[in-house]
Amino acid sequence: MAKFRVLNPEGYPPKVNARGMAPSLDGLDGKRLFLVDVGFANSDNFMAQLRGWFEEHRPSIRTEVVRWRNQHIPDPELCERIRADGDAAIIGVGT
Amino acid sequence: MGVHLNVFAHLVRNTVKTHGMPSARQVFVPTPLMNSSPAVLRGYVEGDDPVHERPFMVEVFDQLTRPVPDDELRGEGWDRSTPRYVEADGEEEMHALFQVHRYTDFLPVVLPTEERVERMLAGTSHPPDEMVGKLRPTIGMEHWHFDVERVAVNAVMAGAAPEYFPVILALASSGDTGRQSSMSSMGNMVVVNGPIRHEIGMNSGIGALGPYNHANSTIGRAFGLLSQNLQGGSVPGETYAGSQGCNFSYNCITYAENEEASPWEPYHLKYGYSVDESTVTVSYIWGNVWAEYLRTFWEEKLVAMISGLEPGMGCTLVLDPIVAREFVEKGFDTKEKLARWIHENAKIPQRRYWDHVMLNLIHEEVESGVEPFASYWNAPPDELIPVFEPDRINVVVAGGETNGHFSIFMGSPMRAKFRTNAGQKAAVSIDAWR
Repeated sequence: MAKFRVLNPEGYPPKVNARGMAPSLDGLDGKRLFLVDVGFANSDNFMAQLRGWFEEHRPSIRTEVVRWRNQHIPDPELCERIRADGDAAIIGVGT
Repeated sequence: MGVHLNVFAHLVRNTVKTHGMPSARQVFVPTPLMNSSPAVLRGYVEGDDPVHERPFMVEVFDQLTRPVPDDELRGEGWDRSTPRYVEADGEEEMHALFQVHRYTDFLPVVLPTEERVERMLAGTSHPPDEMVGKLRPTIGMEHWHFDVERVAVNAVMAGAAPEYFPVILALASSGDTGRQSSMSSMGNMVVVNGPIRHEIGMNSGIGALGPYNHANSTIGRAFGLLSQNLQGGSVPGETYAGSQGCNFSYNCITYAENEEASPWEPYHLKYGYSVDESTVTVSYIWGNVWAEYLRTFWEEKLVAMISGLEPGMGCTLVLDPIVAREFVEKGFDTKEKLARWIHENAKIPQRRYWDHVMLNLIHEEVESGVEPFASYWNAPPDELIPVFEPDRINVVVAGGETNGHFSIFMGSPMRAKFRTNAGQKAAVSIDAWR
């Protein structure tokens, strides 16, 4: 039996290009973590609490809270600084 | 590593997958974040990741240090396509399939057969394979592209007539979406100006903003449907994050300005067009307050109405012609003078101005010293700050003069820096799509 056929209402999705991830660290002791506040409400306070946890429980891990300039757009200057000076970054809070 | 709220787990997985790194490191905390005290936030850190169901910090350490296989480190890319046709056993099955695929707004649609789409395509001189534009659910997500034919498919589904198609193509080309994925659940307002209003029989009079006109109803619905289908979806929890959703989204508040009854210049002249040109302007809208006539204490009331809105988002006054003429009698012989008066008189304390999501939206301007926001940021807490800048105060005339009523909607066209098409005006030419 012939199928009933209509036109597809969807748009054209872009090709997905593979993006590489950074390799894992062999441990966090002595490493420097950037805690990136992306700017959504209360993200700054969450990062402060996260930093507090590291200072209390794992003081050998150096942490610094930094702020993303615009919550909607990547901050290239900050990313470059993290790449140069840091070992890893925890970015949030995504809402 | 990303930290997210648990309610966005599906959205996060979709996003990293379409960005080519499906194994990106992610951890989750409970909802809500906003207004949670430091003690609650510490509890999030010391408690469980509700998605991975393990202690949050254990998950953090594990993901940062656990060896990742080489193929996952490389990420994953692939080609995607959406076929030209959708097939089912019959019409009933096709309607069901459209709902399963979430192509609809869950109201009945007109199935886009080749014959119907061909008739729609006759409403424009542009070829079916001409690319129209790109859309995405929100900033940070991927853009999907589309051509004239795919827009026509959605116009058919909405029940639109071919003569409306240039308006619908203009909306599709705008880069504005009628299915914005904002947690704030914004909707839209679509204002049509120029000669096309009469050519296609749009309503700008009695009931202009209601369900009383075929063109108003179906153009607005088409904008919503084309947005969700051409941008890659609007699925709650995946490609839509509005906590409450917005009933405006069914029709995107689509109407024509009552230029003939207005004492002022048409709305689209604000964006550099002439009265002989036809345009459509999209705003992002959160809600409205209502009032009638400019009574004895109208100034106090207008200031109170504006001051209750969230600063920075902009506002759009939709005035019945009776009210517009009342404003003229009080000396506001241009829309700009009315906007300036509101800017100068509707003010709130600095501390309240910044106690708002607005802080996130324009913090970059504050850091960069952009005025007036830098001065607003540095002002004392009790100093009064204008709720809106003049260019974010819009005035449109619509209504049939059954009484002197008006609404003030919170919202405005998208800020220039967030527009999909850089440099594009908020009002888009319809004539370009005839």
